[in-house]
Amino acid sequence: MLIRRRTLLAASAAATVASPAIAQNYPRRAVQLIVAFPPGGSTDVGARILAAMAEKDFGQPITVVNKAGAGGQIGFTEIARARPDGYTLGFLNLPGMNTITLDPERKAAFTIDSFIPIVNQVLDPGFIWVKGDSPYKTLADLVDAAKKNPGKISACTTGILSDDHLAILMVQEAAKCEFRIVHFDGGAQQLTGVLGGHVDVAFDNVGSVFKRVGTEIRGLAVTDTQRSKFLPQIATTPELGMPSVISNSTRGVGAPKGTPADICKIVETAFLKAINSAEMKEKMDAVGLALKPMVGAEYAKYYADLQAQAKKYTEWALKMR
Amino acid sequence: MESLGHLLSGFAAALSWYYLLYALAGCILGTLIGVLPGLGPAAGTAILIPLTFSLDPTGAIIMLSAIYYGAMYGGTITSVLINVPGEAASVITCIDGHQMARQGRAGSALGIAAIGSFVGGTLATVALVVVAMPLASLALKFGPAEFFALMVAGLCLVVGLAGKNIMAALLMTVIGLLLALIGLDPVRGAPRFTFGVEELFDGIGFVPVVMGLFGVAELLLAAETRQTHMIEAELKSWMPTRQECKDCVGAILRGTGVGFVLGLIPGVGAIVPTFMAYVLEKRVSKTPERFGKGAIEGVASAETANNAYANAAMVPLLALGIPSSPTIAVLMGAFIINGITPGPFLFTEQPTLVWTVIASFFVGNVLLLILNLPLVGLWAKLLKIPFSYMCAGVLIFCIIGAYGLKQTMFDVWVMLGFGIIGYLLRKLDFPIAPAILALILGPMMEKSLRTTLEISGGSFAIFLDRPVALVLLTIPLIVIGFLVFKPRSLAPLRESDVE
Amino acid sequence: MRQGRLIATGAMLVFCVFAVWQSLLLSLTDRLGPGPGFFPFWLAVIGAVLAVALLITTFREAADPSDAETRILPHGEGGKRWLAIVVLLAAVTVAMEFVGFRIAMFAFNAILVIALGERRWWVIAVFAVLGSVGVYYVFTTWLDVLLPVAPFGF
Repeated sequence: MLIRRRTLLAASAAATVASPAIAQNYPRRAVQLIVAFPPGGSTDVGARILAAMAEKDFGQPITVVNKAGAGGQIGFTEIARARPDGYTLGFLNLPGMNTITLDPERKAAFTIDSFIPIVNQVLDPGFIWVKGDSPYKTLADLVDAAKKNPGKISACTTGILSDDHLAILMVQEAAKCEFRIVHFDGGAQQLTGVLGGHVDVAFDNVGSVFKRVGTEIRGLAVTDTQRSKFLPQIATTPELGMPSVISNSTRGVGAPKGTPADICKIVETAFLKAINSAEMKEKMDAVGLALKPMVGAEYAKYYADLQAQAKKYTEWALKMR
Repeated sequence: MESLGHLLSGFAAALSWYYLLYALAGCILGTLIGVLPGLGPAAGTAILIPLTFSLDPTGAIIMLSAIYYGAMYGGTITSVLINVPGEAASVITCIDGHQMARQGRAGSALGIAAIGSFVGGTLATVALVVVAMPLASLALKFGPAEFFALMVAGLCLVVGLAGKNIMAALLMTVIGLLLALIGLDPVRGAPRFTFGVEELFDGIGFVPVVMGLFGVAELLLAAETRQTHMIEAELKSWMPTRQECKDCVGAILRGTGVGFVLGLIPGVGAIVPTFMAYVLEKRVSKTPERFGKGAIEGVASAETANNAYANAAMVPLLALGIPSSPTIAVLMGAFIINGITPGPFLFTEQPTLVWTVIASFFVGNVLLLILNLPLVGLWAKLLKIPFSYMCAGVLIFCIIGAYGLKQTMFDVWVMLGFGIIGYLLRKLDFPIAPAILALILGPMMEKSLRTTLEISGGSFAIFLDRPVALVLLTIPLIVIGFLVFKPRSLAPLRESDVE
Repeated sequence: MRQGRLIATGAMLVFCVFAVWQSLLLSLTDRLGPGPGFFPFWLAVIGAVLAVALLITTFREAADPSDAETRILPHGEGGKRWLAIVVLLAAVTVAMEFVGFRIAMFAFNAILVIALGERRWWVIAVFAVLGSVGVYYVFTTWLDVLLPVAPFGF
């Protein structure tokens, strides 16, 4: 009964919001930007930089809200459920978001159509690394160890069925080995986990740790077709003989389904301007995040294509269970 | 010695009048955030970030740190006056702080909280300068297994507080943990105990539950007896007396130690240190029976630990680049936006800035004390408001607090429901604090247990291999075992120990 | 008191047993390690055992003679005030969805202080306005806390 009334009200609220008068006034107050990963990870860092720079043009504060857990599902659910009035936006992490909708056990309360992709910000290649004093000097060392002791070498992800989890599955398939997979919530936990010696290897992204490479941590491989501009010294997986291991994460801003198109346009304009600015490039370079601006049809196509690709990986992962 | 030189030049910078002004403004704004409902310290700090955009990086960081400290203190005021914790870290302060207010000692409670916060914050900053950097890397050794053990130890210690009610306290802990599990499974994302109600996917909110169990329940209890004021007792004190301060010296020092050590471990959160310090204080006290009935040491220890924690939590942030609480994460975001990347390179790359900020931590703590001591009397005067208005005011406060965080009426219903439950539990003498702590720690506890088992491949033997975890797990369980099964030989000792 | 404790413990026992049943519907452990049902299942089992133990000890306790006087449920004059608060809270929660924070809160404040004994109409009016429109203004304008607005915009 409670729920029915709420839906009814949400519907009436949506109807009010859709009227052009509201869109003209947009934004009248602070906008929430939901990040489905914990503070300090690379999604969060990128989001905070974007929020801070976009809000100058936007005219209203953009507040980053972290809703972490279950590989982002908790946060994505929150975005999908939010009132589509433009005051709740969210970061869409692909392919993590795709895989969640494809795994029946998770009973996701959203589908890929619950979101409107507005503007992409980052393409962050996957990155495999170990602690600075780890016995594994190269990717081959690691894979050999995993072959000799199946299920004994622990490898951590930033959540179940995240791009990092898929990368582990790809390596397992390519090298016919088996890791013990540990799921953390985000990059900060991976860092404490591996540096503290609790986990052997991290499957991560370049952005979260590139500054630490060389001293505290040792990079083993970048899971991309080309070397990262931030880590030119680290070989890619195809160079190391694993051409099938290509995994990266893209992150952009989206809105819940039903958000009026003119509001999405206002968001797109403000955010794209911030993403294309020289200041953004400088700040993102400092934290090791590569920009990949995509909007409109290009982003929508990428978004749809990825769903098809993710389907294959998810089926793999489910078979493992 | 080199750091001392840096620190001195840091002081020279931090004491310039405009930085002092930023710190002062930050303290005032932060205290307001702590007092007002609907804004946790994290959300409040986030809202204020744009304020700092026009400042230079050092000024911005100084102001934001001051806001953070202010917010940590502000929650105390509502805990003492109306039994509503402004944020999680103030839950423990409610226990004795509000009892003190009921005895007309609100001034003493708020005063000792301000003094304790100052001492805890300052000593922790000294420790930060001297020993923190080497300790930070040691804290990394604290893995998921140790984390889980720490949570279990913490909960057991709180159960131990319940005295003769130990079985009920254990049961309340389990109920609190079960309530914490409502929502999406933090590892696999499967919905649990949600029955398709989408409001439950994100779990039962901590704020509405606490506002119900503490705030609304308190009003319902007060309404039942004819009252003209929320608190009938004459206001006896505006400031802690000399004797009260003397009684608290030990509590404040121990609180600082507990808060500092736990603050070094990323992810512990503000609430664990406060209740650990409180439990410790009750254990060492010669008169433990006064705890829960307005013991000033209880307020002093929890508040000191809270602020020592807040300062120590800067260590993993500055030294490792790891934010250890949501509020610190917001601060980290502000650091990054201002062009400062916290982490191991910060001290070598930008020493001037880091040491100025550390010096401003000292300055911020002093300002907070100067600001709050004179205001204590003013806050305590609020208790003179007639009951009918106080009642309506507190309810407005609770409604906004419950609704404001997620903007759903569902949370207001949760608050009302837990208000009635809290009223009944209080009447029936069921301890509430264990359930609250369990509700906060539940998700962290489950996550760390499951991560531990993922690391060990499902074997519980991992706890045997890790001495710290083993000690943390066994000692409290033995203590609880003794309290539950009451061996005869311990009976005389127990009599003085309980309640 | 003893009877009240027995009922409350019984209710918690039912809650725990229900939780045991619900967590059995989730997977306890599988190849990937402990599943979603693992932690809730064991917790609920421990909770149920504790509840049974508490029921037994409470049952065995000798009745305290002073118990008869402590009434658990509110009653008499105080009971009316108690009920007024609970009913008004429920009413304002329902009302806010339809008439918005300001109107609902205005009525709530006025009725509550009258129910608690205030009779000076001008004090009531000033308080009710400050506690509704005033509070709304402060929180939405300065603090960015959203408060409910009625479908008709107020």
